[in-house]
Amino acid sequence: MEENGNAIEVGRVLRSSTAAFTVGAQQLIADQDALTPRLGALIKTAGVRNNIFGLICNVTIEDDAFVRQLVAAGVDNPVMIEDQRQRRQVPVVIEVLAVGYADETAIYHRLPPQPPRTLDMIYTCNNAELRRFSERHDWLRIVLAAPAGPVDQILVAALRAAAAARPSIDEQEQYLIGAGRELARLLALDLSRLDGILRQLR
Amino acid sequence: MTLELNRLTRDVDQMGRAMTSRREELAGRAAEAGSVLASQPQVTKELLQKIETARRIDEWRRGAVPLGNRLDERRRADFAVPRAVLIAADGSQIFPDRSAVTLYYLLNIGAIVFREGSGAAPACISQPTLYYRDEELYDADGQLRTEEYVGALRNRLELATLADLAVAEREAMGGDLSTPIVVLIDGPLLPWIRSGTDNEQDARAEIDFFITQMQRLRAVQAIPIGYIDRPRSAYVLRILELIDMPLEEITRDKLRFGPFVGLTDGQLFESLRPGERTGLFVPNSRANERYEARSATEDMPGDRITFCYANMARQGRNEEAELARLEMPGWVAGRPDLIDVAQSVIAANCEPGPFPYVLARAHELALVTEDERAALDDLVSQIMWRNGLTPQLSTKAWTKQLTRRPRRS
Repeated sequence: MEENGNAIEVGRVLRSSTAAFTVGAQQLIADQDALTPRLGALIKTAGVRNNIFGLICNVTIEDDAFVRQLVAAGVDNPVMIEDQRQRRQVPVVIEVLAVGYADETAIYHRLPPQPPRTLDMIYTCNNAELRRFSERHDWLRIVLAAPAGPVDQILVAALRAAAAARPSIDEQEQYLIGAGRELARLLALDLSRLDGILRQLR
Repeated sequence: MTLELNRLTRDVDQMGRAMTSRREELAGRAAEAGSVLASQPQVTKELLQKIETARRIDEWRRGAVPLGNRLDERRRADFAVPRAVLIAADGSQIFPDRSAVTLYYLLNIGAIVFREGSGAAPACISQPTLYYRDEELYDADGQLRTEEYVGALRNRLELATLADLAVAEREAMGGDLSTPIVVLIDGPLLPWIRSGTDNEQDARAEIDFFITQMQRLRAVQAIPIGYIDRPRSAYVLRILELIDMPLEEITRDKLRFGPFVGLTDGQLFESLRPGERTGLFVPNSRANERYEARSATEDMPGDRITFCYANMARQGRNEEAELARLEMPGWVAGRPDLIDVAQSVIAANCEPGPFPYVLARAHELALVTEDERAALDDLVSQIMWRNGLTPQLSTKAWTKQLTRRPRRS
């Protein structure tokens, strides 16, 4: 991701609540510079009065009887495959966990006062935004308290991305050490879980 | 549940037994038809004379004229065509409904441009059109448009969409003719015109529209094919019935109760190998005669729709023949190389089963589901409210809505 690179459109909001929202995308983007949507990536959307931040916590691609038949028949025609990917099996459904919002003055690691609206566009965050959002570690508590899903995996992916947004190796290490300390504090009563997360962060 | 299945078990059982015995009986007669084809396959002058006589005696008899010298001709075409464009279109509709909140009808045309060999996703089109103005809803006598009218309009839109797309595709190629364009219609090529139609002017307008679109396709060297899956037609069997019938004994009764009534040409040609097709035949029909007459010019004789049967099964994949009837204009039928290309391209597109992928997708793109129809009705109701109108279902439609959901017991 570029330092101040242009935001990439991820998709549009299908349904939402203050704690989470679901986004529909036309396709998976897997260019050299962009892997979108990516598990654990920080995304943003312009709410009514605030920018809302979220972490991608799941991506689903649906099937149907037609695509099952094609798979069963061993179809390998590239035009049919692209038709199914780009024209039929849409939208790609992206689940997002709300982790904060921002107004003109600050970023808050709290649930947004209002959810995003249906069809609001969702964008990726660039490195500068990611650094700004992750300066403090309060958002970790929201992720750890998420009700379901592979929360620890999402957390590890998000922390790795936040570290990678720092320009030097030193800064990256310092960031992960700080995040590790915060996790140790939050998971002081669940050491095996803490151990699992830290091992994946190494 | 409204349907009391327990009251039908005996009938269903009897139906099963009747089907078995009918199948055996048909198999016996199909074998007889096969023997006639095997022993007397030549297309003689006498046979052509009999076909003409039969057509004269019984205008509505669904016969055909063979174009080759033998009825059992076969030709194989299953070569790879590295680059080709397949275009298919289909349509669906909401018919005008007197009981609905307001009078309208809708046509939705789905189309796909499948560029074989490109590796790129095909272009997909779904184009709805709403008809609600008085001149669209009522005919010159003030009668509400019939389902038949809406169906004919749908056919015209499908055909025009196919021609538009084929022309655009050829233009996008800069006029280069090296990539074949095959245009597929799900069903017969010729528009269906009600038998005994009392409005000759309408029938002529229908055919003229068809001719215009065919000319547009021909101008860009697109190959139009009407694809009839699992055909129930018996054109060739009608010819076989004439072989042993003396010319002077041909009567309307004999024609209508021939020995092979109830069989289909599919049974006759089930020995076609994958990739093989029969010879060419011109079906006898009033619509084809109209087409021939209206397409004739001072310099050129009229064109005629022609067909063959082809086994679309894939070698090594399907054991049973999967027959389709391929219809084409005469200017395609006169070029076996064009038919070879079209047949090969279509066969390669038959995935995941022996039916063209593009036709399945065009249908999917066109289909208006019950839910979508309900959503449109809701939208129409909202707009009416907003404009100070009160949408009102007829009592009949309202009652049907109440009883549409399954009962609890």
